[in-house]
Amino acid sequence: MTGSWSRLLRSTPFRLALTFAFLFMLAFILSGAIVYQMMSADLAGQLDDTIKETYAVIAASYADNDPKELVETVESHATRSPKKEQLFSLTDAAGNRLAGNFTAAGLPDGFSMFGAEMPGLPQGTEYRAYSGAVGSNTLTVAISLSETEELETIMLMSFGWATLIITGLAVAGGALLASRVQLRLDGIAATMVDVSHGRLDARIPLTGTGDDIDVVSSQVNAALDRLSGLVDGMKQVSANIAHDLKTPLNRLQMILDSASEKNLSGQKVGSELAEAHAESLQINETFDALLRIAQIEAGARKARFTDVDLGEILQTIAEIYTDVAEDDGKSLSSVELYQTAGRIHGDPELLTQMFANLVENALRHCPPGTTIKLSVARDGDHVLAGVADNGPGIPADEREKVFQRLYRLDHSRSTPGSGLGLSLVRAIADLHGATIALEDCRPGLAVMVSFPLVAAS
Amino acid sequence: MRLLLVEDDHKTADYIVRGLTEAGHVCDLLRNGHDALFAATSGSYDVIVADRMIPGLDGLSMIKAVRAAGVRTPAIFLTSIGGIDDRVEGLEAGGDDYLVKPFAFSELLARINALGRRPAAQEQKTMLRVADLEMDLIMRRVTRQGQPIDLQPREFSLLEVLMRGEGRVITRTMLLERVWDFHFDPKTSVVETHISRLRAKVDKPFEAQLIHTIRNTGYSLHAPLAP
Repeated sequence: MTGSWSRLLRSTPFRLALTFAFLFMLAFILSGAIVYQMMSADLAGQLDDTIKETYAVIAASYADNDPKELVETVESHATRSPKKEQLFSLTDAAGNRLAGNFTAAGLPDGFSMFGAEMPGLPQGTEYRAYSGAVGSNTLTVAISLSETEELETIMLMSFGWATLIITGLAVAGGALLASRVQLRLDGIAATMVDVSHGRLDARIPLTGTGDDIDVVSSQVNAALDRLSGLVDGMKQVSANIAHDLKTPLNRLQMILDSASEKNLSGQKVGSELAEAHAESLQINETFDALLRIAQIEAGARKARFTDVDLGEILQTIAEIYTDVAEDDGKSLSSVELYQTAGRIHGDPELLTQMFANLVENALRHCPPGTTIKLSVARDGDHVLAGVADNGPGIPADEREKVFQRLYRLDHSRSTPGSGLGLSLVRAIADLHGATIALEDCRPGLAVMVSFPLVAAS
Repeated sequence: MRLLLVEDDHKTADYIVRGLTEAGHVCDLLRNGHDALFAATSGSYDVIVADRMIPGLDGLSMIKAVRAAGVRTPAIFLTSIGGIDDRVEGLEAGGDDYLVKPFAFSELLARINALGRRPAAQEQKTMLRVADLEMDLIMRRVTRQGQPIDLQPREFSLLEVLMRGEGRVITRTMLLERVWDFHFDPKTSVVETHISRLRAKVDKPFEAQLIHTIRNTGYSLHAPLAP
């Protein structure tokens, strides 16, 4: 129990709630004090007005130097206040009481305060008094402060209770809200512990309200998605490397075995050496390509992105490969390249390699007489670049598979190549946020890559 | 040439030293970065060949330190760290060339030769001349025996690279990097195709052949050897 309390006290949301409750209370007390001050000043003013008014009414009954009526008026007022909430006193010049319910002695003219030490007055009551001369006599009117004090006490009491209730509500509400937030933070912490223990499929539960914790959580989840994707990719790569390098390594070993046998029997081993050399080159190439893909997928390359004109890149590709295609009995056309389709954000070197790969794929898998067409065009807020041929194409059910690492169509297993070219193309496209579509040209294959346009600045 | 090789793997080092010595170079072998930095800053080498992963100071930092010390000896990284960004990193650190292991020995030799005989001060030539072949770099014109030869822009830069390396072997990979800026190995005969186009224009109409194929390695442009 104490543990959960100390945890609650350390939790950020609870501390925040507590701080706010404290600040709120401070503001409440301050404003309360100001209200109290103003109210009591107002009450005192009202009291003075009442005293002065009563005094004036009594004093008005004195006329023509005849104190008799004045004495009667004072007496009648005094009898109306048997509990001595109001005091009246009329004294002559010598200080003897002529009328009233107390004897004012030694009070200055005008307003004054006096305690109730005087005999015959209720104990401990304070009075506000007004004295003044009426003819040769002195008239004093006083009113007990007890009523005003009572009002003030009620004000203070209600204010105190309000403060207490608000404090209670603030702390309780803060604790409630804090514990709810804490619960969600605990959920995040638990998920991260799971992830650090290797359970990459763990995700932070979302409430669906779209609040800030949800936003952060969904970003963390997205990062986890990408991370687990990468890890899966790496697992896939290692499995593929293991599988695809095992075969040529075995072949290499067999070639070397037969070479050493031949060598023992004194025969020449030149052809075996050449074969072994070619085999080791192939192994290295596969390895390099796999590493390259992994590196591109890791995304570090993005730091080197610049604004690129795809038209220029395809122009270069066309320049380089037109003669190559011609020597190969094929033709390369690039009629649609000359319009500026807009710039994209990217890495020129990788983009060059990407389109070189696509063109080389077409060159290698199409029969002589094939025409390969390069194109760039604006497509809304995208730039669409394509490499199309009128060769044999790819069957619809295999189109997605060709992007998998080391995948090769059955009929192309005999042609040289690592089966990594299109995976590399896909990796480069992904890095650029581009999408690849394989379309049927009837006959032939069109690889269309759609890049997001650089926002006009 | 006097070469400094920094390589910690014994087999690789032996292989390279033997090859370079056979090719007529003098080769000093060091096995860690600190020794190499000390030797390199003494400044008496023509080319430094450095592995990136060596004990002590790593190759990249070593070359950076050498450059910081004001030593401009050409350096070539010879390394199995062959990622896309690694090459750029190497060149930015002050390396002049980058060769990824495993490599063909002829490739290394060609690159060392290309680096070692670079003109010390980058004197700006405006005219290249090999035998009766002339290239005007300002007017971008090529003539042979006084007859103008019409070249495509890429063919022009291909010929320029070959002429600048007159008499030396320029490998296929070097051409891909320098002429087409390709840092990957194309699966088609890009280099062969363009060389053959270039030959058709530069060599075919004339009696003597200037562009020579070096089997399994690359090409070399030089005047016909005296019979």
